[in-house]
Amino acid sequence: MHIPDAFIPIWQGVIYWIIALIFVALALRWARNEMSEEKIPLIAVLAAGIFALQSFNLPVSMGTSGHLVGGALAAIILGSPFAAVFILTLVLIVQGVLFGDGGITTMGANIINMGVIGGFVGFYTFKGMMAATKNITIAGFAAAWLACVVPAIACAVEMYFAGTFPLSEGLVAMGLYHALIGIIEGFVTVVAIRLIVAARPDIVDFKIEVPAVKGVNA
Amino acid sequence: MDNKTFIIAGIVVAILIGVVAVFMASGDPDSLESTALMVQGQKTLTGGTPADAEIHEDTVGKFSYESPMPDYSLGETLGPLGGIIAIVAGTLLAFGIVLGISKMLVAKKKVKEAKANQ
Repeated sequence: MHIPDAFIPIWQGVIYWIIALIFVALALRWARNEMSEEKIPLIAVLAAGIFALQSFNLPVSMGTSGHLVGGALAAIILGSPFAAVFILTLVLIVQGVLFGDGGITTMGANIINMGVIGGFVGFYTFKGMMAATKNITIAGFAAAWLACVVPAIACAVEMYFAGTFPLSEGLVAMGLYHALIGIIEGFVTVVAIRLIVAARPDIVDFKIEVPAVKGVNA
Repeated sequence: MDNKTFIIAGIVVAILIGVVAVFMASGDPDSLESTALMVQGQKTLTGGTPADAEIHEDTVGKFSYESPMPDYSLGETLGPLGGIIAIVAGTLLAFGIVLGISKMLVAKKKVKEAKANQ
């Protein structure tokens, strides 16, 4: 769902950039306050993993492909939606500047969709679902699915404002395609959470009560 | 698992995903492109994408930028090898940039804390 330059007028891109920069500044403040030396390898490895996952377009039938977003994964593992903003912003800069995956004027919108919306929806869905179900698989899956679908819905609305898609067609198509991509995102996110927790329970910090997962900081 | 092993394992998994993507990724348009093709009447919502489908981009008044490795590729002459080089470079760069900025932020925090303790 990387929006190219041609899909949004420059002036709208500027507005999205300004909003995105506010969240990037908050993410940097999060990083300054919350980041510790022990967490750096995890954050950097997550960035590498999310870059690779986003380069893998998976078939979702209907003549369409899609890649995972990774916002929920970053936010859940590091215990903050701002972790997703921090990592996704840097990954999107590499993708946009070096690979033309997502535009330059539209990078703000892409940061908002995948980093901000993906991170916040993923983190708070996980938190709410953990409180309700106490099940890391259900909570992780639901968080990742929603963190894939809601940014797509936001993207469709932005396309409507840009005059690129009519609202209803954009919402239906983006919602449908990402509802399917979200299922894959859900599975991969749950597997990744479990693998990372198994490998390094000492540096994973959900910032919530997780009685089912031994060794993880609450 | 110590830090070094964790980093190596993480990067190996990431690069493996990226390399598999070079050969296995779907050639169909992504969700946004597919929606654009549908809106432009070149495909239906649930139908396949015709081989000659092409998005008509209205570039008037829009910014334009040529990236050095468009579509995670180094051009047709290098083929899949170029794709692998691009993916490996991008994965390592994403890792390196995030590592570098994170280290810088933690170092700054340490200096600030040391000053506060003086």
